[in-house]
Parts: sequence; C-alpha cells; structure tokens
Amino acid sequence: MSVDTDTHGSTGTETGSQETFEDVDWERVDDARRSLSLKAVLIASIYIVFTAGVIYDYVIKTPGTDTIGTLGVNLQALDWLYILTLLSILCFVVVPLYENKRMTKYYWRQFRKNKAAVVSLIYLGVIFVIGSIGPRFLDRPAVEPSNAYQPPVFMSVEEWMPVECAGEVSGGRCHGTWAHPLGTTHEGKDILVSVIYGMEVSMQVGLIAAMITITIAAIVGVSAAYFGGWIDAVLMRYVDIQITFPTFFLYLMIVYLYGGSLFSMIVIFGLLGWGGIARIVRSEALQRREEEYVLAAKNAGASSFWTMRRHLLPNVSNSVITAVTLLIPGLILFEASLAFLGLGDPTVPSWGEVIASGRDDLEYAWWISTIPGVFLFFTILAFNFIGDALRDALDPRSEGSGE
Amino acid sequence: MMDRSGRTEVITVSNRSAGRRRGNTGSDEPLLSVRNLKKHYPITEGILSKEVGRVRAVDGIDFDVYPGETVGIVGESGCGKSTAASSLIRLEEPTEGTVRFDGEDITEYDSGEMKAFRRRVQMIFQDPESSFDPRMSIGDAIAEPLTVQGLTDKPRRNEIVADLLERVGLSESDADRYPHELSGGQKQRVGLARALSMNPDMIIADEPVSALDVSIQSEILALMNDLQKNFGLSILIISHNLAVIRQICDRVAVMYLGEVVELGRTDEVFANPQHPYTRALLASIPTADPTDRGMGVELTGDVPSPSNPPSGCRFHTRCPEVIQPEGYEFDQQTWRRVMDLRQKLDDSALNVEAIREMLITEVDEYETTEEVTTAETKARLRDEFDIPKPLSDPQAEAVLESAIENIVTDNEDDARDLLATEFATPCETQSPALEETDAGQTASCLRIENELPPTELDQTVRSD
Repeated sequence: MSVDTDTHGSTGTETGSQETFEDVDWERVDDARRSLSLKAVLIASIYIVFTAGVIYDYVIKTPGTDTIGTLGVNLQALDWLYILTLLSILCFVVVPLYENKRMTKYYWRQFRKNKAAVVSLIYLGVIFVIGSIGPRFLDRPAVEPSNAYQPPVFMSVEEWMPVECAGEVSGGRCHGTWAHPLGTTHEGKDILVSVIYGMEVSMQVGLIAAMITITIAAIVGVSAAYFGGWIDAVLMRYVDIQITFPTFFLYLMIVYLYGGSLFSMIVIFGLLGWGGIARIVRSEALQRREEEYVLAAKNAGASSFWTMRRHLLPNVSNSVITAVTLLIPGLILFEASLAFLGLGDPTVPSWGEVIASGRDDLEYAWWISTIPGVFLFFTILAFNFIGDALRDALDPRSEGSGE
Repeated sequence: MMDRSGRTEVITVSNRSAGRRRGNTGSDEPLLSVRNLKKHYPITEGILSKEVGRVRAVDGIDFDVYPGETVGIVGESGCGKSTAASSLIRLEEPTEGTVRFDGEDITEYDSGEMKAFRRRVQMIFQDPESSFDPRMSIGDAIAEPLTVQGLTDKPRRNEIVADLLERVGLSESDADRYPHELSGGQKQRVGLARALSMNPDMIIADEPVSALDVSIQSEILALMNDLQKNFGLSILIISHNLAVIRQICDRVAVMYLGEVVELGRTDEVFANPQHPYTRALLASIPTADPTDRGMGVELTGDVPSPSNPPSGCRFHTRCPEVIQPEGYEFDQQTWRRVMDLRQKLDDSALNVEAIREMLITEVDEYETTEEVTTAETKARLRDEFDIPKPLSDPQAEAVLESAIENIVTDNEDDARDLLATEFATPCETQSPALEETDAGQTASCLRIENELPPTELDQTVRSD
C-alpha cells in the first residue's frame, strides 16, 4: 500500500499518464476562466428560453393575438406556469435521477416493493399523458342540448330521457354508443372529453402548486436553518403569521371581486401554503447542519450556497418529497370541492364541476357525477399510495442495510 | 491574485515536494505557530442576548508545528482540544490570538485568502459516519475540495480521485459507492483521501481513530504514517488516547481545561512526565501486568466547568500533588482529601443534613435528625472524605476539628474562612506558566516554578 510518489512525481498533465493530485497547479486553476459545466449551461439556457418566451408573450407581441400565430397556439398565464413546472421537474428531478443511476435503481428497488404504489404510478402516468395530449387534439366539451343524457356505452336508459338518442333504440330503451363512450351531461357535454380536460386541470393544480410550495419552502427552510440568528427568527415568525392567515377567505374575496380563476386559485394556494413544509425543512436542515460533512465542506473552502445546495438540500429532500406527495392530493381535492361549490373557474372543465353538474340527476343519470368522481377518487388514492411508498423507500433508516 | 511573496515557490510542485523531503529536523522555521489562541463561547440570557458569562473552551494556548512533524494534543473529553483544532484553522472564529502559517497570520485573512489557505491545511474528522454526506458518492466527496477550489474539469477530477483511492488502499471502483456501503475504517481512508486531494502541507486529524475498532486503528495510523513519509506532511493529531499519541507523535501537548500544561518530545513526556496531570493521565493507562494494581494516582472529582474555571492553577481542585500549606505537616494523600473537603465546602455542595439522614437509616436508635449526636456526624463527615482521625500533625488536627465543628453546627461560612486562611495553598492563587524543566520538556506547575521536590506519590508512578 505504501506508494512511491516519485513514479507519479511531477510528471505534469501533458505526458498522458494518469493525473494525480500533486500535479494540479492551483495557480493555473485560479487564473483559468471558470467554465461552467455543460449541464449548468443547458439548464440555464432552458430557463433563458422560457423567460424569453414569457417576455415575448407579454411585452413584445400585440395584445390579443395568439402566442404562436401560425400554429394557432395561445398560451395563458396558467400554461406558462405549467410549462415552467414541467421544465423544473425535468431539470431537478429527472436529470439528477438519470445522473445518479445507482441511487435511482436502489430507490426503485425499494419503491417496487409496494405493489399498490407501482400500480398508482402507472395510473398517474396514464392520467398525465392523456391529460397533457388529449386537450391538444380534442375540442372543448360544448353545450349541445340535443345530445343530453346519452348513457355510457353498454348501458341503456329509458327512451324518453335523452332528447334524441344517439345510439340504438330497442325495447323502449336508449343504448349508449361509442360516439359518447362515457355518456353526456344534461347539457349534452361529452363526459369522456370533460374527464380528459379535467385530468389536465388536476395535474396543473397539483404540480404547479407543489412546485411553488417546494421552491419557497426549501429556500426558506434551508436558509433559516443554515444562517440561524435573526434570519431564522424573521423567516419563522413570518411563517407563524402566514399559517394563521385564512387563505380560503382570501380566495373567496378574489372570486367575489374578479370571478373565479384557476390561475389565481393555484397561485394563492401555492404562495400561501408552504409554511408547514418550510417548518419541516427547517427542522430537518437544523439536524443536518450539525453533521461533520458540513464542517468538511467549509474546510474545503466551500461557500454557504454550495453547502446549502449540495449538502443540506439533498438531505432534506426525503421529508420534502414525502410531504409534497401528501400535499398534492389535498390540493386536487380542494380544487374539486371549490369547483363543486361553483367557486372554481367557470371556463375550465374540472372534475369537480362535472360532478356538480350531475348532482340533480343522480336519480336518472348516475354516470354524470359518478364517472369523474371515480377518476378523482383513484387519483387521490394513487398520490397517497405513492407518498407512503416514497416515505418507506427514502427512509434513511433503511439505507443503512446497503445492497 | 494575492500579494504574497514566496508563495509561488511553495506552490509549484517540484519545489514543494523537494522542500518536504527534508524530514523532521530539516527546518527550524515552524510551519504553524499558535500564540495565545483563545476560543470563548458567550453564555447569553434574555431577549437581548445579554452576555452573562463565557465558556472558556480554549484559553490561551501556544505551540508550534514544524514541517514534516507530527504533534499530538492530548487531554480529557471537554478540555478544549477539538475546539483548539477547529478554531486554529478558523472553522470557528477564534476569540483572540494569532495563528501564523508559513509566516503569515491567518486570523487576518479575508475570505478569498482563507479559501486559498484551505488548500494548504486539511482536516480529518472524528466520526466517519457523519463526516460524509450520505447522498454524495465517495468519488464526489473526495473530489469536493477540488470542485470547490475551482477544478471544474470533471474527467481530470475523476483521474485524481481514482489515483487517491488507490493510494489510501481502496480501489478505483469504490468511487461510485455511497458512504453507507463502506465500513468505518474504509470511510476514514476516504477521509484521508479527501484531505490529501488538496495536496496540503498539513493535516489536522481530530480523533481520527477513536470511532474505529482497535485492529483498524493501527491500520489507519500506519497509513497516516506512510502518507506523511511520502508527502512530508505535518500532522496535528487530537486524541484522548495516549497509546495513539505515543505511537505516532514526535511531540505532544497535554491540555487541561483550555490550557496547555505540558509540552515536549513524546518520548520524554512519556518517560518522565513533569506535570502532575500528565502523570495522572499516564497512570490511567491500563497495563497487562496483573500484579500491577495501579499507582494509587487517581484523579478525584469532576472536570470543572470551563465557564467558571478554578483560580490559580486550574488543576489544583483535582491535583494529587497540590502544594501543602506552610507550617503544617500532612501526608500528601490526606492533604488531598482535606482539599477535597474544602473544595466541596467552597462549592456549597456539602450537605450535613443528608449525612444525618443517612445515619438515621443506619443506626436504629435514631428516629429524627435532631437526635443524631454531633460527634457521630463529625466522624461520619470524616469518613465521607476518608480523612483519618486524628491527623498526624496535631496543629492541623486542631484546625480541621474546629472547621468540622463549624460545619456540623451550621456555621459553614466560618469553616470556609478558617480553612481558607489556615490551609491556603499557593496553587489556588498563583497560576503557573509553561517553563523549561530539567527533563527537557516544558510544563506549567508551581512545583517546578518554586523548585519544590516531587511528592512521594509520584515516586510510585515513576516506579512503573
């Protein structure tokens, strides 16, 4: 094990032999321009393109026209936020998972033990894909009184119920058709299309609000724990105040003043709902800050930002991810409840709204409320299962067992 | 970027390695020179954080480390040795004092200079479990100093890491593993690799092996020794383990309660300890000889709190060789016990009522504490401190007897005053300075300062 250093000696970098720590000429490193890694450049350019897009949409282009005129695509504030969320998931979830393949595989093996969670993940994946693609190709569900009360396919209702039965009429009963596989509402809106639009709404609500929440909670919690002192005191007292703030009534007021909007709902709940998670992050980060590896980083000459970004943040991610997977279903359910109460965005076909629209017809047309209700139920359930499985998979206590 | 003459020469590889090969005694300029280093932690109270006291964790220590040398700091838990290590490289800001490294005072450095300085002194931490980020692979952990210091070229870093892993006895493939997949000993090797990655001049090791199995301890120490020889490193090692110090240190500093009490060549300190505390520490090393029943030197009492250190010599509250008062003749062991009694009395920790209650439970005829006789209480009090009755010196006996009388009759203040005037020792008023001794090392003890002979007690120590 004893090593003769002379074999490595001062061979320099250009000889082609393996470089050793003794060869590093720190003067030259200091003089060299700090080059950013390819990954950092890519991530930065993604965000620059995004920002440029927003600036173009809101500052440069003539108001009232489509964002991309030739394609007929017009992006709203909510769409921009959703794009930002998806980009962030790509940069800060997918890329790190891909880079740390061994860690990812290890977590996957742990996660896979929970079969219900795997099924849930597949289900949510399907919902996400259909919800993202569907609305691009399907027209919004339109009011069509002549098409009202069509039963789902393989089902039938009394002939008199639909104004005009779209399917086959036999034996005094109107049968459902593939034209409307899940039937239609009392306004004649196709339920399948409504459900697909609702998928996008639910994903937007859950993911955007979660992104806002995680970003703020992580920054606030980690800074409070790392810096301590008055920064900690100010941030945490603000959290105390924010948690007591009645967000629901603020939203009611907005609805009263400006009308319901999905954008304001998401932004309000995202911006005011991070207090609890910030507390979790802070308490976790306080423990981590005392670990010797934080001292080791300081001993290497690392900045506060490096320590927070590279050590504290990854180590509090367990509790954040778990908290967020349990926060998302709460938000989705909350949006559905508001829509059900008629406090939602009237322009958005959310699940809650479809459920509400079928509430007077439960006796004759059960499918109107039930079908979106089933989707809502399984979505909430899936997030909860995944939250449980993640908590088990990411539990540091099980990490010690190795592989 | 920084104006530091001579620095360029040191940093270029060839000059630096050549300079290091000079070995232990080649250089007469210390690489690291610590003078009057203090680290106090304020104790605050209330909303306004008013300072009500200070924990004097490190209270003015001086020592040097020469190029290529291994220096040990040894002492009990809580004596401030780890704080000394972390404050001398400004992982914690020292309260006072200067730390000169290679001739420059690093306590004056700004953050940019400090960052460059970090390349030259690296630290190895005590707990291999907590000194690695569980979410960072071993390779990334070793490369972290390189990355932080601006080596952004990843393939270059990977090469360096692979080489380092081989040199500390691990394999290149370990770079992808995570800390929880490694044993404690392996992790400590990685800790060494991380410290070496900066090609430092000096490594500070804070209890590098105390968390490891004994068999692995010697492997790690041997590796440190190898690396030191190969790279001419200076090592400052902090340990409470005397065997570790004896194995690898050229010189050793013994710390007690934030101060260095003895400093010298390891062989000299171990062969002929000059400070009573060092003697007591050495006597506490267990020996394999079953007939050796210990040397009778046993430290009594707890380590005093560094927030309120004892006056005079800080060790006098526990010193087995505390100087006797003039005009009285004591057997040294008895004198120590009388001092223990005085100490308890001064701390108001003596509870006569508790002694009486104990007597009630032991002697059947007593029902209440009032019934317990004064004579019995006094005898019991002496027993508590193992003080013989009577003392060999009748004058001392008279003083002690009247003090005990005062204690049991609830006149503790009188007893305190009486003992303070009659049984005063210079150890509680004068603080000794580090002085050269005949044995070669320096030590701070009033016995050395006043050229008093060592007591009979340490004769038994030396017979070991």
